[in-house]
Order: sequence, then C-alpha cells, then structure tokens
Amino acid sequence: MLSRVADCLYWINRYVERAENISRFVEVSEAMALDCPPGSAEPWLPLIEANGDRELFDKLHPSATPEDVVSFLVRNEENPNSIINCIAFARENARQIREVITTEMWEQLNDIYWILQESTTFWKEPGQEQLRNIRRACQLFYGITDSTLSRDLSWQFSRLGRLLERAEKTSRILDVKYFLLLPSPDEVGGVLDELQWISLLRSAGAYQMFRQSRQQAIEPKAVAGFLLLNPIFPRSVRYCLERIHETLKIIRGESVPGAPDELECLSGLTLARWSYTSIDALIAEGLHEAIDSLQSDFNQLHEQIEQRYFITANISASPTTLSSAELPCVPA
Amino acid sequence: MFTEYRPTRGYDEYFSAFDQPRSSLQPLLSSLGQLGLAELNRNHAAAGMLLKRLGATFRLNDSGNKGVERILPFDPLPRLIGLADWQRLEQGLVQRLEAIDQFLGDVYGPQKILNDGVVPRADVESSQGWRPEMRDFQPPLGKWCHVSGLDLVRDGEGTWRVLEDNLRCPSGVAYFLENRRVMKRMFPSLFSGRTVQPIDDYPSHLLQTLRELAPWTDNPKVVLLTPGVFNSAYFEHSYLAQQMGIQLVEGRDLLCQEDRVWMRSTSGLEPVDVIYRRIDDDFLDPAVFRSDSMLGVRGLMGAYRAGRVAIANAPGTGVADDKQIYAYVPEMIRYYLGEEPIIENVPTYLCSRPDDQAYVLAHLGELVVKAVAEAGGYGMLIGPHASQAEIADFAEKIKADPRNYIAQPTLELSTVPSLSEGELFPCHVDLRPYVLRGKGAWISPGGLTRVALRRGSLVVNSSQGGGCKDTWIVDESSAQEFVPC
Repeated sequence: MLSRVADCLYWINRYVERAENISRFVEVSEAMALDCPPGSAEPWLPLIEANGDRELFDKLHPSATPEDVVSFLVRNEENPNSIINCIAFARENARQIREVITTEMWEQLNDIYWILQESTTFWKEPGQEQLRNIRRACQLFYGITDSTLSRDLSWQFSRLGRLLERAEKTSRILDVKYFLLLPSPDEVGGVLDELQWISLLRSAGAYQMFRQSRQQAIEPKAVAGFLLLNPIFPRSVRYCLERIHETLKIIRGESVPGAPDELECLSGLTLARWSYTSIDALIAEGLHEAIDSLQSDFNQLHEQIEQRYFITANISASPTTLSSAELPCVPA
Repeated sequence: MFTEYRPTRGYDEYFSAFDQPRSSLQPLLSSLGQLGLAELNRNHAAAGMLLKRLGATFRLNDSGNKGVERILPFDPLPRLIGLADWQRLEQGLVQRLEAIDQFLGDVYGPQKILNDGVVPRADVESSQGWRPEMRDFQPPLGKWCHVSGLDLVRDGEGTWRVLEDNLRCPSGVAYFLENRRVMKRMFPSLFSGRTVQPIDDYPSHLLQTLRELAPWTDNPKVVLLTPGVFNSAYFEHSYLAQQMGIQLVEGRDLLCQEDRVWMRSTSGLEPVDVIYRRIDDDFLDPAVFRSDSMLGVRGLMGAYRAGRVAIANAPGTGVADDKQIYAYVPEMIRYYLGEEPIIENVPTYLCSRPDDQAYVLAHLGELVVKAVAEAGGYGMLIGPHASQAEIADFAEKIKADPRNYIAQPTLELSTVPSLSEGELFPCHVDLRPYVLRGKGAWISPGGLTRVALRRGSLVVNSSQGGGCKDTWIVDESSAQEFVPC
C-alpha cells in the first residue's frame, strides 16, 4: 500500500472519531448545563481544555459565553478541530484516495460533508438534534467501513487511526474534568457532584456499561478506573491500547516474529503499563501526571507510526519527491 | 412536451422540421410525453443531487479546502446516433488515429513526411507540443496515442466533421460513464422500447490496453498518475483508478532508481510497469522537461528510454493535436494510408500563410479564431458574437504571432432539445468519442456529448458553462415508422 494512502486512511479515521467525540462532549454538556444550579462549576471551559484548544479559543472569544463554546467546537471555521473542519478534512483525505475506500464509505462521508456545508434545514434544528445526527453520521461511517472494507492494510490503518484518537480523547476528557474540578489528590472521592461524573461517563459513551459493570454508587475513582483500565469496554484506554498493539503487529506482518522494533516496543510497554496497574496505584502516584505521560506516549506513538509508514524516509529519495504538500494533519 | 419546441436554423437532431420528428425517435418521444415536463424537471434536479452525492464534481480553482466544487451540468434528454451512422464514424476514427500514430512515429523518426514537404518542417518544430527529446525513440508496440478523445461536430447540413484531436490527456470519460448510470437510475422509462449500446466495459478495455503496453511481464503493475486532488479532472482520475482497481499515485509517491520506477509503499519500494499519466509532458520529469515541476518524477524519462516503464500516452503526442498540424491530418491519411479521409476536417485557415491571414483579417466578424495550443475553449474569438473591440484586439494578436492562430468558418452546430431555464430549447452539441489503442483498437459506443446550455451559445466547454448529455447508439433498422398522433 502507498504510504500516502496509509496516511490518508489513518487521518480519515482520526478526524471522524474526533468529530464524533466532540459531538458527544457538546451534546452531554448542553444537557448537563440545564441541570447546573447557578454559580456551580460550568462545564464549558473544561470542554475547550479537553480538546487542547484553549489558546485559540481565548484569542477568538475574550469574554466567552456558552454559545461561543458550542459554536467554536461545532461550526467555527477558524478552529481546525471544529466538527465542521474535522469532517471537511476527513472528506478531503477520502477524496485523495477514493479509489481505495468503498463507494459507500465515500458517499456517507460526502453526504455528511455537504449537509454540514450547505443544508439550510440542518442548522435550524435544535442543537441536541444536530449533535445527535452528526454523531450518528460518524457511527454510520464506521458501520459501513466495518461491513464493506476488506480486512487488508487499508482496514488496519483505518483502525489504527480510530483507536489512537479514541484512547486519546477518553484520557483527555477524564483528565480535564478530574484535574480542573479536583486540584488535589486528597479530595478524590470527596464532594464532587454525582451529576458531573454521570455526565463524564455519558460523554465517553460509557454510562450504561459502567452501571452494568458495578451496581454501586458512582464514585470518581471507579469512573476513572473504568475509563482507563477496563479491559472489555471499547472506549477505555486499556482496550484501545491492546487493539493498537495488535494492529501494529498485523501491519508489520512478519510470518516469523523477530525481535520487536522500536514502535512495537513503545506500544507494548505502554500497553503493559496500563494493563498491570490499579486505579489506587495510579491515584497514589498522581493521576494527572500518569495521564500526562500517557498522552506523551500517544504523541510518540503517532510520530513513530508516521516515520515508519507514512514518510517512507528510510529509502534514498531524490529532491523532487520530497514534498511537504500534506493536508493539515492537526496533531492533537 | 414539444408543442412549443422550435428548432433553430441548421440541423436539429430530434426534428427535421417543426413537428416533424425524425423517424427513430418515436419510442423516446412517447416515453418523454408520458413523463411530462414537470416530472422531467423534478428528476433533473434529483439527478444533479445524485451526481453531487457520488462526488462527480470538479473544482474551479486551487483554493484548497474551500474550492468551489461543481458538478458538470447534466441534461436528461439523450442524444441519439443511428448504428449505421456510428459504424461509419468508427471506421473514420480508426483511420484518423492510425494516420496520426504513423505521423508521430515518422516525425520523431525518419521524418519522411517533412523531407517530402507534405507537412512543413517549420510548423512541426515550432509547435508547443514538439518534444525533440523524443527523437529516435520507439515506444512500446510502436504506438503513441493509447487513449485519445476526438471532438466531432455536425454542421448545418448534418455532416459529421472532426473539430479537434485530443491526443495528450483527453478528459471527460468519467462523466460519460456516470451520465449513463444517472440516466438509468433517474429516467429508466426513457430506455423502454429500444436497445441502447452499453458502455460499462470502458474501464476493462482501458486496463487491457494499458497492460498490453508492458510486454516484458505477464503481470504488469499499472498505476494512474494524477497531479493531485486540486486538479479540475481529479474526480475522473480517482474514478478510473477505482473502476480499474489500480493505484492512483502522485509524483511524490514514485521514485526512479536504476532505470526503474518504484512506488513508495508501507512495505518499502514496489516496481511499476505502466503509467497512465494524467499530467502534461512538461511536468513529467524535472530532469528533462520543466525543472520546476513538483508533479512528476525525476528520472522517469530515463527509465522510459531504457524500456523499463511504459507511459500512456507517449510524451510528444501534443505536436499532432496542435491546431495548426490538425489542418494536415487529411494529408497524412492520404500520405501514410493511401486512402481518402472518411470523416472530413472543418475547413481551416492557417494565419501563418500570408493569403490565409489576409482573408482571415478581412473576415474576422464571420470566423472562429483559435489559439493553436489552447484547450478548454480558452483563447478563442467567435466573430459573429464578438464586439468590435474584441475583433480589433484579435487582429493585433494575429499580426503579432501568426503561427499561433488558425481560423474556421463559424459552424451552425447541430442542436438537440435540452432543458434550459425549465423549458426545452434547441442547444448546440458536439461529441467526444474515446479511442483506445493497444494491440488493437477499441472505441467507446458513443462518447461524451457536450452541450452549450446557454441559449444561443456555441461553446460547449465545461470551463465556459457547458454541460453534458447521455449519448445513445441505437439500431434504427428496428425503429417503428412514426405516426404523428
């Protein structure tokens, strides 16, 4: 498979997953804001933090209102990570490799793109409806991918992009809420409003599964443990890491396994670190620091995947072929 | 539906006169009548939406993600060509391409036709498409033009003529194929009562043709080289790659080492045998042609000369679709094949000839003037529709650079009813059939009918607001005698 094609597949999926996550966050926060008593911790700014776009947001909106936050995340064309841009980038990547993905995948992505770009009726609907429809459009794209794309390298790179983005977003949403709302580890398990945690679970699409996994009161430690370490919940960090490691091995595709390369070492060590620990241990050493180092591992993983598979830098290249004409792949 | 339809001057392909439909149209007219104008308009709008959903769009400029994307306007009334008529055109196209191919092999080889003075050497060597780098080169199979699109028109008498030869990277075939899909989905009733020649096998024939260019291997690796996503024909590039199941590559995906072309893949370098390129000669190889090209591959021409890769079409074919050289194609047919041309040229004045130039300058108000190397309807003067200022401007241009201009009488192009502003109006059309030449020759049944949707306009190019129609090759011998009801 062409390196450029692998790169596009990876990013299509990162962007679609990103758009889906943002719509989840906003959808849940909007619903939650309605429950918040006046003067309580507003859910809005943490949302911007979760996406790591605080600086740009403050520049565009010196005195922020909730509406500003929502439009910044959903429709703002100057925010490279807004939903409308994520979908546009995903489609643009897809347009570059239309011959590789299935026609049905393209049509789905193209449909949602045009709806967001041009539909007069879409943006007149209630906000909650819009977000639900965007989320479902992204999910439909994955469903179509699942049922129409052969399980070859194109599938593996798609999966890789999707899993990395998902693990990253899950860790961010947890970290932001946890860190902003709970500055010191001593307060863990203390006075936090249960609503906050319910909404956090909902943002990660984890509320029901969390409930099913333990029939007890919702407490922060358990929520954090579930989102980070649960081995069978498909949006948990641990679950994603396990699939990332697996996918990287398949892509490497050695009939006789040799010594692990640098990339495999990194994904294996990260997976081990989050497989063989407990939430108590993580909290004792500082959850925020642990998540910080996790995120730097994600960044390293991304860089090494890029080096290894997308740039094909390990071959001698003539000056002509060195082109930086890449789409804006926005590192989170 | 046609009660208000008035054919204009010239040749209308539906009606020989007002309320006198041509005999083969009966099944179509009755289907159209049952459909009704309102529903035709409704389905027409839906067809536009469908094309957009399929992504059959082109971009108007290079403004990145915010580029304006448009579909090529699509008209639902098909254009019909009788089988007997078509078979004669096919013979004419094969004949013309054979002569052109021999001409290319000759001018880049022994140059007999130049030495015999049949075609002036100066005209060839001053052409923008002339590539001296190709001298004494033998392309695979000795063929130069593997994929060509020839533009045909019918004049006011209904006589078919060749308007232009597109021998470099002719585009439009994807719209030709997609239009048929849309017609079948949106207007199935129009097909009833007749058999239309299918066209879906074009990609198979194209792939077969490309594979035949690499006789050195049983299983050639074929790729389609695109300038990238910002090119206006990008949809077609990706569509064809998808239909053939081959890789769509950009210059940056390829590199040359040891006289071979390689593809950068996730598992290292993979060899490439055949490149169907959709970029111009100039950009193919910065080591040989334009050194500032970012679209091509350094060393490509070296690998090509070494016979380790095939390129379709061969570099250098542009010399034969120079509009100045076009005027000599009938001569080439006589010279190389000893035959009379089956399809005639449009009479052409070469401004580089003093007598022709004097005539052209005296009659600018009646003629169409074209720059020899321009495509897409740019650089043209349509005398009857031009202002005095424009005419004066062109007169200066011609005097300043006579070799750059040819002129032709303004043809009363044939018309086909089309939806214009919600009503049926006779619009001018041309036809671009696609000719594939590998070991043999294959011609698409029909081709892309382009239509000037602006009322009264003679320019069918998409860059100038033209659209397209589905083209049907139909067997007239089975048609019913038409009885007006």
